[in-house]
Amino acid sequence: MIFNSLSFVVFLVPVLLIYWSFFRKNSSYQNIILLISSLIFYAYADYRFLILLILSIGINYFLGLKIRRSEKELIQRRFLYLGLIFNIGLLIYFKYFNFFYEGFVKILNIFSIDANYNTLNILLPIGISFFTFQTLGYLIDVYNEEINPSNNLLEFSLFISYFPKILSGPIERAKSLIPQIEKKRIFSYEVFTDGLRQILWGLFAKMVIAEKCAEIVNPIFDNYENHSGSLLLIGSFFYAIQLYADFSGYSNMAIGISKLFGIQLMRNFATPFFSTNISDYWRKWHISLTTWMMDYVFTPLSFTLRSYQKRGLVISIIATFILVGFWHGANWTFIFYGLLHGLYFIPLVYSGKMNKSQIVAKGKLIPSFKELFKMLALFVLIMLTDIFFRANTVTEAFNYIASIFSYSLFKFPNELLSSSYLIGFVLLAFFILVEWKHRERHHDFEISNYNIIIRWSWYIIIFLLILFFGKSSETFIYFQF
Amino acid sequence: MVKSTEKNLSNFLQIKKYKMETITIKETISKLLESILDHNNFEMHDELTAKDVDGWDSLSHMMILTKIEEAFNIKFKLRDLNKLKNMGSLVSVIQSKI
Repeated sequence: MIFNSLSFVVFLVPVLLIYWSFFRKNSSYQNIILLISSLIFYAYADYRFLILLILSIGINYFLGLKIRRSEKELIQRRFLYLGLIFNIGLLIYFKYFNFFYEGFVKILNIFSIDANYNTLNILLPIGISFFTFQTLGYLIDVYNEEINPSNNLLEFSLFISYFPKILSGPIERAKSLIPQIEKKRIFSYEVFTDGLRQILWGLFAKMVIAEKCAEIVNPIFDNYENHSGSLLLIGSFFYAIQLYADFSGYSNMAIGISKLFGIQLMRNFATPFFSTNISDYWRKWHISLTTWMMDYVFTPLSFTLRSYQKRGLVISIIATFILVGFWHGANWTFIFYGLLHGLYFIPLVYSGKMNKSQIVAKGKLIPSFKELFKMLALFVLIMLTDIFFRANTVTEAFNYIASIFSYSLFKFPNELLSSSYLIGFVLLAFFILVEWKHRERHHDFEISNYNIIIRWSWYIIIFLLILFFGKSSETFIYFQF
Repeated sequence: MVKSTEKNLSNFLQIKKYKMETITIKETISKLLESILDHNNFEMHDELTAKDVDGWDSLSHMMILTKIEEAFNIKFKLRDLNKLKNMGSLVSVIQSKI
């Protein structure tokens, strides 16, 4: 059941009522109701893999304790390796098996070894890329003595399976989530209403913006051979916005829903398109994944290669981004997507212009001309790279890009004048302006300081927009990862 | 009586030696940071973190660590990295290695 469905409302409201009434006595009561709801929620999404989720919880809980209770570092390391093999093994088996198997057979064929293959029909357990990253991070943190292992199975199970984030993240860290569920949560009106606001904005981003973009993008991508370069360019523009609206919309809903239970999940997007260079963009895009990759892949790798100076850095960045891409799925398109993003960092490394995350035009109403130019240039680069994300094969992506840069790029696309496109552009302009206005806040729709009339006007406007333009599809882009 | 005075004195000297080292270590790190980051707009103290220093990000971090390793002729371990929360902890990790 997805967040923007009636069945989810039917599920959520009773859980909230029970949570804040009969079960508010202490943290154990609260955690029991949350754990039961989470398991039901996951089973409803895919009951066949509930056993797998429970198995993963049990094994990682046990290994966390084993790592800490072993006295010798060698034994600790062995338990860590066991955990890495188990978690990465799960991921490889369910997500990448056919990809590697196919590649292996193709290599055999190159050497004239006649091998046939039948890919196995493996179903992807929903949320597996998200929860295995959480368990991996947990074990590494325990090994590095960053955190103490959880010795409360109830809390640990909830940390992994907590339903607002189980399907598509944010990828939480034990350090920030476990302390929150150890304590009794006390109802706060401010947090609750802020959660509702964030859900509203997430619904708008998903049901209005992402769906509207999809309506324009799908026919263009599905039939790209027959369109002009100019229309293909517009298609890739709308796809970049769709991807953002879809996933940031989902994330805002997830974080907002969690706030209703008094639990703060980590921020996943910080208006990434308002960035002036690629490193700034990645600090604001899918933050829970990029910080995970930073801590557990990039840092150890660049540490190992530190004696190679800048070359070592470049290799670490490219390797990290290939992995970021590959995390999305077993397809060369994602590897390419990651590789390209890694390559974009090279000029930054050599020019030494790796800035800290910063807010563009902080405290100002509009950006300077130079900032605007940089943001637009970066956006074009990202939207062209996103074609790899959307295409079915790498060849298709290259063909699409080649078709953009053809003579027909200068042909005026008549579709632009259709009402569907015009409505799309107006809605998009509204979306982008609201995001720009709130870029310095904790989330895209943090308007608690506005006066009550303005606030409620906002709610009504957004609500009406959802009512008139909103559509409900059955899935989110990131559910497949 | 005399003994205890001697003991106090040697304690005092040790503390002094320790303090001297801390100061020299910090001075050395300051100079390294200056040469890598091309500025000295930071104030050296125990609570100083990478966030407070312009240009000290995840990328320059490794280069800074490499220079520190060379300057003190030490080797960090991956596990040490997680202990580096601020300047104070960096200095104590360095001290534990020289």
